Amino acid sequence: MSYYFISIGGTGAKVMESLTHLCIAGLLPDNERLYIAAIDPDVGNGNLERTATALNNFAVFQNFAVGNDTPLFKNKISIVRPFPWNPTGHDKTLDDLIEFHHHSGTPVGKLYEVLYTRDERATTLNEGFRGHPSIGAAVLAKKFDDGAKLTAQIEKIIGEGDSVKIFLAGSVFGGTGAAGLPTVARLLRENLADYADRISIGGVLILPYFSFTPTEHFDELFARSENFLPNTKAALKYYSERENLFDATYFVGDSVLTPVGEFSVGSANQRNEAHIVELYAALAAADFFARPLHAPKIFKYICRHEADKFSWSDFPAQSERFVQFARFIFAYAHLIKPVLNDLVAGNAKAYKYPWFVDFLSGVDVTAPDVVNFNFYAEAFAAWLKQLETLSGREVALINPAMFDANPARLVDKKLFAALDGNKSKLTVHEVWYRLTEPFKFDSTVAGFGKFLRRLYDVCAA
Amino acid sequence: MNRTTRTIVKLIIIAAATVLCMAAAYYAGSNATGHALASASDNMNYSRWLEKYFALTRATGLANGFCALSWFLAARFLLEVDDTLGAGKRLIWAGFCAASLAISLGVPHFYAPLLGIKLNGIIFALFAIIFTGAGYWLLTIFASPLAFKYTPPGAQLFGRSI
Repeated sequence: MSYYFISIGGTGAKVMESLTHLCIAGLLPDNERLYIAAIDPDVGNGNLERTATALNNFAVFQNFAVGNDTPLFKNKISIVRPFPWNPTGHDKTLDDLIEFHHHSGTPVGKLYEVLYTRDERATTLNEGFRGHPSIGAAVLAKKFDDGAKLTAQIEKIIGEGDSVKIFLAGSVFGGTGAAGLPTVARLLRENLADYADRISIGGVLILPYFSFTPTEHFDELFARSENFLPNTKAALKYYSERENLFDATYFVGDSVLTPVGEFSVGSANQRNEAHIVELYAALAAADFFARPLHAPKIFKYICRHEADKFSWSDFPAQSERFVQFARFIFAYAHLIKPVLNDLVAGNAKAYKYPWFVDFLSGVDVTAPDVVNFNFYAEAFAAWLKQLETLSGREVALINPAMFDANPARLVDKKLFAALDGNKSKLTVHEVWYRLTEPFKFDSTVAGFGKFLRRLYDVCAA
Repeated sequence: MNRTTRTIVKLIIIAAATVLCMAAAYYAGSNATGHALASASDNMNYSRWLEKYFALTRATGLANGFCALSWFLAARFLLEVDDTLGAGKRLIWAGFCAASLAISLGVPHFYAPLLGIKLNGIIFALFAIIFTGAGYWLLTIFASPLAFKYTPPGAQLFGRSI
């Protein structure tokens, strides 16, 4: 079995970010490889860039020898190239992509001119479909088979005797996601029709959960949050009439639209903070991957216990595993990373750090995989901080008062023992002490991976 | 071995090492220079000197054992590492080491006259080596709590399974 996750558009990229963290934390089922693909004409968008960085970090350190009997790093990731796949190319308008000059004056051309406004046809699509799914649907339908090469890759995996679960994530209220979700799902289903018994396609349809007020560019074509609800209504009506698109469909949204800090048409400035809705969408992917290949079709709804608060009782996954991973990251950021930096710089003595003497003497702690893990720890803390400091909602998962992000560090060491709101005996000192105690691992555990594995294990409550 | 068992085992090791150091200081001192010192002391024969010397080694050994025990108890139950600056604690270990040396030299210096026996440099050297060298430094290498297992200088040369 292989898992495919296809993010479509900016919201899809943010779901991919959450899914990456869940995957690294060991919250995906089994030990299957996760193939990650992204479709986004706005290749420079800040959300995608942040996700790509975390993914690339993990791609480097995922082969740490942490052993086969641990959830840590158990699902390896492969990034599907081109990443992201840009269906529009550079500086292209809808007229260019549709090759309107071939059809100008013909009945088809005239119909096209009726369906699309002059602005829609003439705006360059470097920053995406700008909240206009009608543009995206046309472009994706024309370009998907030539450009994405997804079908061929999936066919290759199926040809090797494997089954594939494909999960799509995107918004239904914007441009790229709204256009791409039904189009890509339909094209994949058609292209892989010969292997229908070996594939399953699921999708999470993200409903509105943020809003923004454009401050400039009034004359340009861009997404408007006042259109989100009408767009969503139209999209849901469309999906209700096409039940065969997905084998499992998840809807995630929020009745409170969180205002995003700064409006941006797209590109690098489109760097929105992580949101609990995206985490739920990623958990939907994990749920889908855990289902039997041909489970009865479901439409899933998730609700929460309290109107304005998210807590662990609302967390539809193994919360202990997530908390253990968070402890692991903060213990690393607080106790380990500064020491490694000091030791490398010659500003610390190894005798003070028994875990260094026991595990890391002779290990190159400046190797790329270690450096990438350091970057990743920062990225995880930043992501978690963003989730926890969501405006308009209280998110009572990991205590945000405990830590700072950028750089990741504990600001209140006493709160570490109650990181998930429940008091435990696992203080920072306890983690330190456990790290020094004798233990045995099998031969598949070695090097820096052995140390990380030990640190992860001692972070179990 | 769980943590409580390990703590009990180490307390037993400290107690046993303290007794062994007392025995070693007693036998080494009495054999190396006991007869000469007994003759040099007023109104003293060898067997009376041995009796007094045993009292001296017991007092020094117990006081020194208290240093090793104090380091162990402090490192096990009082010292906490909740950030990187809290690691190591070699200064505290060195403080106890200095106290051990002061005991190894000070107790015989002040207590021997009270007991009415004379000592020489060999005894002081033996006490320093046996009580501070073996009864504190070497002992703490093997019986420090795991969180500070490499704090005693030279500890990294030895593997530690408990």
